[in-house]
Amino acid sequence: MEPLSPAFGLRYLLPEIALLAVAVFSMFVHIFCRKRGHRWAGYVALAGLALVAFFLVLSPASSVPLFSGHLVADSFSRFFKFVFLVAGGLATVLSFRFFDVEGAEPGEVYYLMPLTIIGMMVAVSSLDLVSTYVSFELFAIPSYILAGIFKKDGRSAEAGIKYFFLGTLSSAVMLLGMALVFGLTGETHYPAILQGLAGANAHVALMGMILFFVGLFFKAAMVPFHMWAPDVYEGAPTPLVVFLSTAPKAAVFAILIRLLAGLFGRFEAQWSLVLQAVSLLSMFWGNIAALVQDNVKRLMAYSSIAHAGYLAIGLAAWGETARLAVLFYVFVYVFMNAAAFGLILLIRKGPGFGEDVSDLRGLAGRSPLAAGCILVLLLSLTGIPPTAGFMGKYFLFAAAVEKGMVLLAAAGALNSVISLFYYFRIGRAIFMEQESGGVRVEPSAPVWAVLGVSALVLLLLGILPFLLTNLASAARMTTG
Amino acid sequence: MTVLGIPILTLVVFLPLAGVLALLFVPSRRGREIKLIANFITGLEFLATLLILRGFNPASGDMQLIERADWIKAFNVQYLLGIDGISLLLVLLTSLLMFLATLSSWEAVRERLKEYYIFLLILEVGMIGVFVSLDFILFYAFWEVMLVPMYFLIGIWGGERRLYAAIKFFLYTLFGSVMMLVAILVLYYQYHTFDLLAMLESGAVLPLALQSWVFLAFFLGFAIKVPMFPFHTWLPDAHVEAPTAGSVILAGVLLKMGAYGFVRFSLPLFPDASRKFVPLLIILALISIVYGALVSLMQKDMKKLIAYSSVSHMGFVMVGLFTFSPLAIKGAVLQMINHGISTGALFLIVGVVYERRHTRLIADFGGLSARMPAYAAVFLIMSMSSIGLPGLNGFIGEFMILMGTWAVNWVWAAIAATGIILGAGYMLWLYQRIMFGRLENPANLSLKDLTAREFATFLPLLVLAFWIGVFPKPFLNIIDKPVEKVVRIVNPGYFEKAR
Repeated sequence: MEPLSPAFGLRYLLPEIALLAVAVFSMFVHIFCRKRGHRWAGYVALAGLALVAFFLVLSPASSVPLFSGHLVADSFSRFFKFVFLVAGGLATVLSFRFFDVEGAEPGEVYYLMPLTIIGMMVAVSSLDLVSTYVSFELFAIPSYILAGIFKKDGRSAEAGIKYFFLGTLSSAVMLLGMALVFGLTGETHYPAILQGLAGANAHVALMGMILFFVGLFFKAAMVPFHMWAPDVYEGAPTPLVVFLSTAPKAAVFAILIRLLAGLFGRFEAQWSLVLQAVSLLSMFWGNIAALVQDNVKRLMAYSSIAHAGYLAIGLAAWGETARLAVLFYVFVYVFMNAAAFGLILLIRKGPGFGEDVSDLRGLAGRSPLAAGCILVLLLSLTGIPPTAGFMGKYFLFAAAVEKGMVLLAAAGALNSVISLFYYFRIGRAIFMEQESGGVRVEPSAPVWAVLGVSALVLLLLGILPFLLTNLASAARMTTG
Repeated sequence: MTVLGIPILTLVVFLPLAGVLALLFVPSRRGREIKLIANFITGLEFLATLLILRGFNPASGDMQLIERADWIKAFNVQYLLGIDGISLLLVLLTSLLMFLATLSSWEAVRERLKEYYIFLLILEVGMIGVFVSLDFILFYAFWEVMLVPMYFLIGIWGGERRLYAAIKFFLYTLFGSVMMLVAILVLYYQYHTFDLLAMLESGAVLPLALQSWVFLAFFLGFAIKVPMFPFHTWLPDAHVEAPTAGSVILAGVLLKMGAYGFVRFSLPLFPDASRKFVPLLIILALISIVYGALVSLMQKDMKKLIAYSSVSHMGFVMVGLFTFSPLAIKGAVLQMINHGISTGALFLIVGVVYERRHTRLIADFGGLSARMPAYAAVFLIMSMSSIGLPGLNGFIGEFMILMGTWAVNWVWAAIAATGIILGAGYMLWLYQRIMFGRLENPANLSLKDLTAREFATFLPLLVLAFWIGVFPKPFLNIIDKPVEKVVRIVNPGYFEKAR
């Protein structure tokens, strides 16, 4: 295909460029605005995210590869970009509340998040090893900083360091995988690699594929590369966990999908097996380990490992049905995590927040509205109708059954039952147990907004799922 | 058929939601208003379900009043409602018991009224939805929606071990239903539709091996609900800990859903597998009958006794269903209704003394008939109905089941019949210990007889018990054709022999 002129491609990169401008502007506001500069930086970033999301929806999608085939702005990537912006927006709103209580407000957060999002946006558009790796690091590095942004808080610092060391290690492993693939084919462009792998040594190619996947599995916190997640989620500032537990995961799944459908299309039998194994491990390990957690953030960390496992069912059974299922679930998952971590920001204990399950006792009596929102959330996390979580799981299981993986679907279903037990420990604390002393519930407008919107979305998509399935099934992917 | 421009089945499914919305806007301290609204809505709902009869043709065995619309187009899921004689009876039973359960809660529930009635009304949406939905995903959605309010009813307003009982109930029943979900998906990729009617009309017969797996997955979901031995262990806990209204709904309606599932889905869709698994089902059902009855005999807690008696009675229903004879299946369906009436009433009866004395231990009572004559009379009639005394409803159902079963296999019938004898034993002994003898416990001296509200709660059940016992024809007519339709699929040989 005749390469298009760079100027043509730039049109489709406008969302990324605009977001960069937002980040820079927010940084200047942070530095130069004398009065409450950090907070104004946050407002600017939030407005910028909303604006970019708005234009992203309006902007045309193109199935034509841009920049000599490095990037493509297809409707598939646009869907994911929208998801990142939503996750960033929700996390920003929650940050307002969090930093109000903490007393310190690192304004950097507000422009580091857009920078991270730019990395992810490029990563999901990328059709080339080089641009994939560069953009992958582009979103990885700011996310290490985000996790460790509270330097003085030991837990946050530990989270940042841990995330950084393990993250760079896994990036290196991924790079090794890429090197093997490149060495076999001499190509960095996905479609060209697909061609090149035809006659290549299958063992080396598979080794490359698996090493490549390891880096991605790490970022998505999938077993056996999940060890960092509970510590990082527990230590990092709560609103940033909303972002770190959803957006990178979504990005990884988008990258994986591009690899499965494009680069490694030849090895469907093998990658399907790998993903089935990772899915089973993640679901069972995540859910079983979550059973014994008392800290809500840790509990949600293990729950997010399990959810990565559910999502991997969709990848293992990749196809038309699975595409719809994965996109649906990724979108819904953002709101589930936003609500779950948002809940913690309502509960005050001493100078900080009440993060234990026992701190939620008697919430139904103190704040019936919050309890109602959380009930919707818990049902959705478990996968019980009429919530979006049920619809998402049903689509995922359907995709598995369609491909004949009935046992995988049954394992997923069984895991829903296991997860019921710990999600409804939260439900039990909120609705059935007596209040314990020393805990206050503080109304907070940002948290209410996030909780309310999330509960509404989860309920609405559970009753009228076609609002999203239509969008998801319209999201076409270009493989190159 | 529409009422106020809304199709009737949609109306009866979602009418309770209107009550939920109304309750959301009532401040929680206005207890009286909350109770009035809830009772009004469940009463209205009962009247609405009676309206179905106007548009219903009892002479037809087909699904009627069908409502169809696309729900999730990408997955071929429809909003598909319809009703036949079997589901009509169950819908009527549900709305009646719901109304009575709400009425009985007037004094019994004193805290967190608003949440209580909201959960009750959501429960009603789920239950009615299960009985009228014909699309598998829609059915499944209602089936699970129902679990949540029941979990909270047990867990918040239940007895001492409520937390344990609530999560046990939730885990058990969810486990059964998720396996059913996987089986539903397998079915979808065979028939390429979730529409039960289309599946049956397609005439496609699945290979026996596949049928067996799917049958077993459905079996798990339904058998846990029924509950059949050895899946029954959640039931005594849930029943004992649940508040009175919860027990009434559990015994009266929720248990019926398992049996309903067999007759509506398993038998017609997997006829070959159903025949193949007859020995398994019958053996488990017979064990349930005898085991349930024996365990009932030695209970010290009234609620537990009635809970185990449910295991025994539902075993009867299952034997009736799996003989595949029209007579026994009709008896089984009727017995589902009868059990709802008599056991629902018995739980209400226990609730009456529990409310006054806050104990359910049989040993705490004795000689109550002297203080509470009206109560004793109601209790007597309902025990007799549960035992199956001729002239009352229980007799008709059990007799039909035994007749039908005897024709197929006399050994099954003989074993099942012991359940009736044991049943008479535990019920009469219970009655004797509570009602007769000397009124010794001083705490019982000041017991008050039934109030007018309580008596009003029992009246419809008493009327039905006598009505079905003396003149069951209208009820049997309604289920005649639908049952025949099921038998034609699962046991076509029956009608050939008859000719």
